[in-house]
Amino acid sequence: MSSDHQAGDVPPLTEDIAPGTATDPPVESDDAATVTVDGTGVDLPAGSTLLDAVEAVEHGGGADADGVGSDTDGEGGGTAETVPALCQYGREDIGPRSTCRTCMVETDSEGLVPACSHPAEDGAVVRTDAEEAIEARDVNLDLVLSNHNLRCTTCGKNGRCDLQDAAIENDVEEPRYGVLDDRDAYEPIDDTSSFIQIDRNKCILCNRCVEACNDVQVEGVLRMEGSGADTRIGFQNGAATMEDSTCVSCGHCATVCPTGSLVEKGIEDATTIQIPGFTQKNSVGKSYERDGSPKGPMTPKKAAERTERAASGEAERARESAKETAGDERRDWP
Amino acid sequence: MDDSSLAERQGVLRIPADRADLAEAAEAGGGTVDDGGGQADDVPGEDEVTVARVGPTGIAALDPLVSATSGGGTAFYANADPDLVTEIAADLVEGSVGVVGEPLAVAGHALGPATFPLAPATPLGVGNRRVLGGAGWHRPAEPADHDAAGGFVDATLEDVVSGADGLQGRGWGDWCQDADVTPALDRARDAFGEAAVVVNAHGVGMEAGHSGDGTDRSTADAFLLESVPFAVLEGADLLATAVDAERVVVYVSEADETAVERVRTAGENYPDPVTPFEVVTGPAVHRATEPTMALEAIEGNHRLEARLRRPGELPTLDGTPALVHTARTVAHLGRRVRAEDVGGHTATRLVTVSGDVEAPATVELSETASLDAALDAVSLADEFKAAAVGGRFGGLTDSLDVSCSPSSLAAGGLGTEGAVEVLGEDRCLVEFVGRRAQLAADTNCGRCVPCREGATQLTELLRDIYDGDYDEDGIAELLRVMDGSSVCAFGVEAARPARTAMEEFDAEFDAHAEGRCPAGACFEPAEVPQ
Repeated sequence: MSSDHQAGDVPPLTEDIAPGTATDPPVESDDAATVTVDGTGVDLPAGSTLLDAVEAVEHGGGADADGVGSDTDGEGGGTAETVPALCQYGREDIGPRSTCRTCMVETDSEGLVPACSHPAEDGAVVRTDAEEAIEARDVNLDLVLSNHNLRCTTCGKNGRCDLQDAAIENDVEEPRYGVLDDRDAYEPIDDTSSFIQIDRNKCILCNRCVEACNDVQVEGVLRMEGSGADTRIGFQNGAATMEDSTCVSCGHCATVCPTGSLVEKGIEDATTIQIPGFTQKNSVGKSYERDGSPKGPMTPKKAAERTERAASGEAERARESAKETAGDERRDWP
Repeated sequence: MDDSSLAERQGVLRIPADRADLAEAAEAGGGTVDDGGGQADDVPGEDEVTVARVGPTGIAALDPLVSATSGGGTAFYANADPDLVTEIAADLVEGSVGVVGEPLAVAGHALGPATFPLAPATPLGVGNRRVLGGAGWHRPAEPADHDAAGGFVDATLEDVVSGADGLQGRGWGDWCQDADVTPALDRARDAFGEAAVVVNAHGVGMEAGHSGDGTDRSTADAFLLESVPFAVLEGADLLATAVDAERVVVYVSEADETAVERVRTAGENYPDPVTPFEVVTGPAVHRATEPTMALEAIEGNHRLEARLRRPGELPTLDGTPALVHTARTVAHLGRRVRAEDVGGHTATRLVTVSGDVEAPATVELSETASLDAALDAVSLADEFKAAAVGGRFGGLTDSLDVSCSPSSLAAGGLGTEGAVEVLGEDRCLVEFVGRRAQLAADTNCGRCVPCREGATQLTELLRDIYDGDYDEDGIAELLRVMDGSSVCAFGVEAARPARTAMEEFDAEFDAHAEGRCPAGACFEPAEVPQ
């Protein structure tokens, strides 16, 4: 960046981007490999994960990169069990975040591993139908649902939702741990942007939006923040709402969102049954609205906001430290 | 060796480094304070009594511990007050030890012992003092004391490799916890000249349930830095020798201020390190000990979450491969690299006892010794009921008759952290595991579902027991998934208290489902469900 630009005119430098996420190692294989999934062999190019192997078998019955599959048990293609791999996106270098752990599979050499973030090593033998793997995927899918408000009938993504698809494919009828339906615990919908609505009650923290915003669009707006049950998608400038963030409304976050958490305005009720008073907004019952003041271009805020991150990081640290130092004796029980 | 080491002095009075009042009292009795660290001006003369400000012994109940050494004997005084210290100093000036007051013990030894002399039949005599040889005996800032005890060994790359052979990583902050360190060392040697060595001394202990005064939150790793920083730095320097390290970082919790200050000073005084030591602090939260979060903290990320791990590879620090070992691991490496320690000795483990005890203690036990032995170093505050073995998410057991090797601890479902939290008779174990589950839910990094949502649901399932709904299979299923699919050891370990307690104390869980708390801790009469 040449020094004759005014600080206020330039987009954020990438080194200023602080998405709040860890620096993961590469998860893809270094070399081409042949992997066996539920008895079906599949050839994979370098740069593959075990999930690529599972998906190749799932969709192509062993068809592989060069079109020559080998079926070692002679029983034809397909995996024994479905592997939701809910948080996986697999395009545009987004992910794998490996947060939902609904892609757990059994391997001969290393036991239970997340397929999405495990390199496809030559000779690896994978089973999707090992009891422990099925249990882990099912329980983790139910754990995701336990913190999702599941108000599908008023959700704009009803019918085109990855979580809904995964739940249906896995025959989830009654999630073990219920769903998030304590209305008092709902976060207000952020309806302050003219273009994108955020409903964090539907967020599964897959981090796709954060990566789209930071790694693909290089906008540095969204971040992962908080810890434990307070983990949420927030804004790098510390803003409470989309309106006060540095969002440029590119829409990539809404494109990659697997659920109805980030939805383009105008279609947030697209699939809602047409009954008066029966809307996405009413389903949550509280929202942040625009303050009505005229807005200039979306970008000028950027320059002034750079120090906010550090400050909010400090505050977060203090809060967390307080959580830790409250000893057992000071924790409510039962 | 030079004459600045305490081992060369006539009379030495050792007092805790953090007690300025006792230093004054000792000088009033005729002693001269010598802190070492290259401050040659104040070296006491031949016939003077040296007052040495030393690090903690590990036995908090004896603090302040004062020891007077002259000739072939040392008298130990527990809980010494300034008046007594003045008397002891005056006595030492006369050349005698153990005459005044009531010493805890008087130990005989060779002239000028370079390491802590055995004091049998006292908490100071529990276990071995090999890694802890300088604890309570050496001045933390003075290299000569460590040197006199055989430290700063002149080792080649081969010496380090053979010393590391068979050494297992200690504690959950170690990348190689309970695994041989050699494969990691080999990988770091592949990156010769570029690798980083990270000494992870970060740890956040649990506040004592009994005393609750916040005095026993320090962990074994921070204790080593406070008391014998050179023993830790030497191990790090040996690793740096083996891999020609680009960086050597000592990582400590920002709450362990004394440890940070002492390791900084020791690092500055260290004679000719291969690579200068950097001391970096991280937030005082439990998860910041986890090796990948430690690296995130050292790199300066404002938010800490676990990283994924690539099988068979080292993690990176700012892009270069990093060896991440705890202070305990590298201190043990230092001992092993010294010729006298290779072969012939059983490995030792540091064990910290806290919880329902009058004061916590850290002792060094042989791996073949029973954990019970550590209880000899403390006074129980209550009748022993159970113990959580393995840190804040330790496994529950009603017997410490288990050897402290990782394999036998693992066989019993217990943790290998080297922390034993004693639970007295009036403790309710359902309450204990419930609160630990809540703690896990409150303090996890938030990255992965089995840990973040799992700990939350575990807490709810444990609460349900109080309403008469004890879903044993459902809880066991959830614990298996937390254990088997969490990204890092936090989620794996968070499952342990409930799992072990349900196995070992099943009747207590059943009783709660029936509205009774055998320990009498949980139900108010009005709350008993019908």
